[in-house]
Amino acid sequence: MSVLNSRPVLRWLVPASAALAVIGGGAAIGALTAAADPSLPPRSAAQLLVDVQTARLDGLSGTVVQRADLGLPALPNVGRQGSSDLTSLVSGTHTLRVWYSGPDKARVALLGTLGETDVITNGRDLWIWSSRENTATHRTLPADDAAKATPTPSADALTPELLANAVLAAIEPTTAVTTDGSAKVAGRDAYELILAPRDTASLVGSVRLAIDATEHVPLRVQVYARGGGDPAIEVAFTQVSFARPNPEQFVFNPPPGATVVEEGTGTAPSDPAKPDGNKPDGNKPDAARPDSNKPDKAGPGVAVIGKGWTSVLVARLPAQPADDKPNAKPDQGQGLGDFTALIEQLPKVSGTWGSGRVLTSRLFSVLLTDDGRILVGAVSPERLYQAAADPAAKLGP
Amino acid sequence: MSAVDSPPAVASRPVRRLSTRFLRSELWMIFGRRRNWAGLAVLAAVPILMAIAVKVSGNGSGSEGGSGPDFFASITDNGLFVALAALTVELGLFLPIAVAAISADAISGEANLGTLRYLLAVPVQRTRMLAVKYTAVVIFAVSATLVVAVTGILIGLALFGGGPVTLLSGAQVSFGEGLLRLLGICAYLSAGLAALGAIGLFVSTLTEQPIGATIAIVMLTVASFILDSIPQIEWLHPYLLTHWWMSFGDLLRDPIGFDAIRSGLFTAGAYAVIFLTAAWARFSGRDVTS
Repeated sequence: MSVLNSRPVLRWLVPASAALAVIGGGAAIGALTAAADPSLPPRSAAQLLVDVQTARLDGLSGTVVQRADLGLPALPNVGRQGSSDLTSLVSGTHTLRVWYSGPDKARVALLGTLGETDVITNGRDLWIWSSRENTATHRTLPADDAAKATPTPSADALTPELLANAVLAAIEPTTAVTTDGSAKVAGRDAYELILAPRDTASLVGSVRLAIDATEHVPLRVQVYARGGGDPAIEVAFTQVSFARPNPEQFVFNPPPGATVVEEGTGTAPSDPAKPDGNKPDGNKPDAARPDSNKPDKAGPGVAVIGKGWTSVLVARLPAQPADDKPNAKPDQGQGLGDFTALIEQLPKVSGTWGSGRVLTSRLFSVLLTDDGRILVGAVSPERLYQAAADPAAKLGP
Repeated sequence: MSAVDSPPAVASRPVRRLSTRFLRSELWMIFGRRRNWAGLAVLAAVPILMAIAVKVSGNGSGSEGGSGPDFFASITDNGLFVALAALTVELGLFLPIAVAAISADAISGEANLGTLRYLLAVPVQRTRMLAVKYTAVVIFAVSATLVVAVTGILIGLALFGGGPVTLLSGAQVSFGEGLLRLLGICAYLSAGLAALGAIGLFVSTLTEQPIGATIAIVMLTVASFILDSIPQIEWLHPYLLTHWWMSFGDLLRDPIGFDAIRSGLFTAGAYAVIFLTAAWARFSGRDVTS
């Protein structure tokens, strides 16, 4: 102690080294796990694709962190950090816990700060539980679909596994598929598979999949925008276990005092999830309705302009605009009022194709024309204007 | 270089048995003071007011539905949620203020009153003094949390009754397990507040004005909350002490999620170690003039 007594300044070395140890230690662990690329035997892209398609998964549980940085305009009441609403997934960082034990037993819990939204399938029962609203929504899946039913499309996008399958299904000659060594995700060795659109007009730069080396399950999905930068969407396991979860995880009994909404049967799994879709929509927005000066001669039609990554989806805007954005996550709950407000905030555009409002993000653009059409694509707004002028996009009879 | 004069003399003496007398006198200083009694009464008043307000209005969610603070809607179902709602509300300001006031008072309060040099002349080793002061702060942090929780449970049971507790995941557990989880939440929150107390102790060694130290710590807490709400600096959030406090909700899930709890405890521990050693570095080499 005599050194410290004669030189009191030296005492400060103790807190300084403690701070260094904590910060440096944390950073070193992060760097080590990130940099330590496991040495795996090389595997071709085709082999990996087959691995993924043939992966047999008994059970899985883990924690998933989902990040979305789409560069969307600030949405009112949407995307708050720590919110447990499903709509909040379009921006910010969210943590989900996932349990999976066969196609008919799955549970996804979106963790809010002091709330939780659960989507649980167990056999033919589908439950959506919202702690914030103290509401449990029950749906009975059709018998023949029960075997292959997935928890709802909103949950589809949530696990890396399901999201990857959706991406792989879209592979065409339009895509350059390559591998990029190996990575470590959630402490497990993984191969990296890169899908890059050949068409440079697409806003999607590349999609990177990290595939578990032993279980062949995608552990991480990153979607990069063509503009570069951080991933626009990233869904990654931070912790995963391939042991079959306890069956009790999939048993849900609505607690007493909760509102239970029965939505009956017959809902095909391809329908957008609308847990609170039964709310009375007395304030149906007028602004979103097809303009009245153009008689509604065409029925609700859908057309696709272009192909591959740059294809543009054209649809007649439905009277109720809650589920008109195939690319976006499902709109729910108080979405109607917000939706009108959102549309009115969008910048107005016009051209030879007509006029409307455009929403741009890092990955996709949406054009709402004043004559009641909606165009969506992973392309720049200019491409959408071209598509809007296309005769096939008129959707007329 | 006369900054430190006592330790060599003390070191040559036979080591005294560990006595709790100093700690007991510290605790008496904290819990015997009337102003601290008033502070604890304010902490206890919040759950009582909340429970009465909910009871009088007849529902927890307010007239427009679901707009109340967290856990308010569940209060009418189970009295235990009064404690949870009160902890959630007070965690934002009241509890940090209480801990800030006590920890800031630890050294600078004595210095301000002019009693610090007498205390050191007893003689008490400075390191031991810091240890005892911090122990007292930790005990206060635990008691402050428990005061809120226990008052909440009592008033909640009196007005709304008990019964099985509905967790955030929608599952139900027995009232006993609910109490156990609430105890775990109190322990977790106390750890976070104790880390804040370590910062307070350090600030307290820097000044002779306890009120200045209190304000500094409260400002630090509020700044931390503000930084935590800015999404553009997300990389910074895990390093903020207050970022992890609200993770106590993970103890109310089924199954319990320990990831954030673990990170929160680690962060609190890191803050405590850094600032306690800093307090030691500052205090043991400091001229005590008052």
